[in-house]
Amino acid sequence: MFEQLKEILVGKLQVPADLITMAATPEAIELDSLAVVELSLVLDKELGIKISDDTLAEAGTVGDIVRLMEEQGAAL
Amino acid sequence: MSGAETAVTGIGLVTPAGIGTAPNWETLCAPKPAAALDPELDGVPVRLSCRVPDFDPAALLGARRAHRLDRCVQFALVAAREALADAGLDPADRDGARIGVVLGCGLGGPATQEREHQVLCEEGAQWVSPLLLAMHPAGMLAGQLAIECGARGPNLVVSTACTSGTAAIGVAKDLLALGRCDVVLAGGAEAPVTPLTVAGFAQMGALSRRHHDPSGASRPFDVDREGFVTGEGAGLLVLERPEHARARGARVRARIVGHGGTADAHHVTAPHPEGRGIEAAMRAALADADASPDAVAHVNAHGTATRLNDLTEARVVRRVLPGGPLVTSTKGVTGHLIGAAGAVEAAYTVLTVESGLVPPTANLDRPDPAVDLDLATAPTRRRIGLALTHSLGFGGQNAVLAVAPA
Repeated sequence: MFEQLKEILVGKLQVPADLITMAATPEAIELDSLAVVELSLVLDKELGIKISDDTLAEAGTVGDIVRLMEEQGAAL
Repeated sequence: MSGAETAVTGIGLVTPAGIGTAPNWETLCAPKPAAALDPELDGVPVRLSCRVPDFDPAALLGARRAHRLDRCVQFALVAAREALADAGLDPADRDGARIGVVLGCGLGGPATQEREHQVLCEEGAQWVSPLLLAMHPAGMLAGQLAIECGARGPNLVVSTACTSGTAAIGVAKDLLALGRCDVVLAGGAEAPVTPLTVAGFAQMGALSRRHHDPSGASRPFDVDREGFVTGEGAGLLVLERPEHARARGARVRARIVGHGGTADAHHVTAPHPEGRGIEAAMRAALADADASPDAVAHVNAHGTATRLNDLTEARVVRRVLPGGPLVTSTKGVTGHLIGAAGAVEAAYTVLTVESGLVPPTANLDRPDPAVDLDLATAPTRRRIGLALTHSLGFGGQNAVLAVAPA
């Protein structure tokens, strides 16, 4: 799931690939409030994973986002 | 009554004539017209445009930053960086509250809007990008520029069609004269080359349809002219209060000594038949400069290459400026950059008075006999004590700047 998230962050949101690690914070990958909404939309559109932007905004690291994706993905 | 003059200390250009001031000047003086067939306009009645050559926003601004900016803002940021470097001014060293931004833009970001409208129609509202309204409104231009360089002073976008860039520089001059700012980043940006916008201009009958001869499509004042070619880009000037420029030892490239703005109050697209509005704007700019009409040695004309504009403008120049100024229209090279046109042409006028070299009007093979002007057909040396640059807009607006050497 990390690789899928990374692919979306790089391919769709144009985040530099080298910044994206499991421990990276939203600030480190420049994930501001607008980008969180954009990510929520792209995850749904590309992977069918529905995570609200409010939930995504609470993630402290990229790893937290991966875990949210896994939970939602498993529930599909 | 005359207004205080303004020092031009930096220039930044991203236009169909090139990225950077030096390539622009070279292309302009060659002259090498930029108009070409545009594959993105397939299916539109007019498939001609003037694009910025080799513009790679990800390489110039970083992919992450570029992704969140409309094309017109991308142009403006690249031009602003050049203008600030040219001025030797790092805003971080200055009081940001004393730095203003005034930019002209006629259309905002139509490419972003059209793309997201297509998403709305084909996929549904839930997939419209949350970035849409952070990208396409014209106000984003001034906002993004302020974020880029920490300019916390007055922040404005002037949107009056083809006069936007000229008017923006006039407003910036007033802000400096009133003491509201020490420095203003002023100019214009536009990215209008989209199927919808070009189709709209085509339906108005405003565009050249010379598909068999793309590089000859934009031909101001030529007897075979048939309309303009839609262009894109940005022109930025660093303007300063003269005493501020002096105090920091800046090189002054030229001075904006006057501006005038009027409305025809006549018709939405046709200029007033006697050019009442543009004449009033020229006279207002000269009064602001405290200069007499016969002092004008050069005019960078609006010169769109539409039948109506060129004839009206030529008659007014003939009537108002008895000194027989050498006239050029740089749109023969660049096409018509709509809200950015006046800013780019103001920058060209600064370069003209600074160098004493008037760039030619490209494609002026057979001047219209009804145009009784001294037109530059080759790069021409001329000592210029005072120049005017004109803009006329759909909506009936007129704006004129008076430019003098440093």
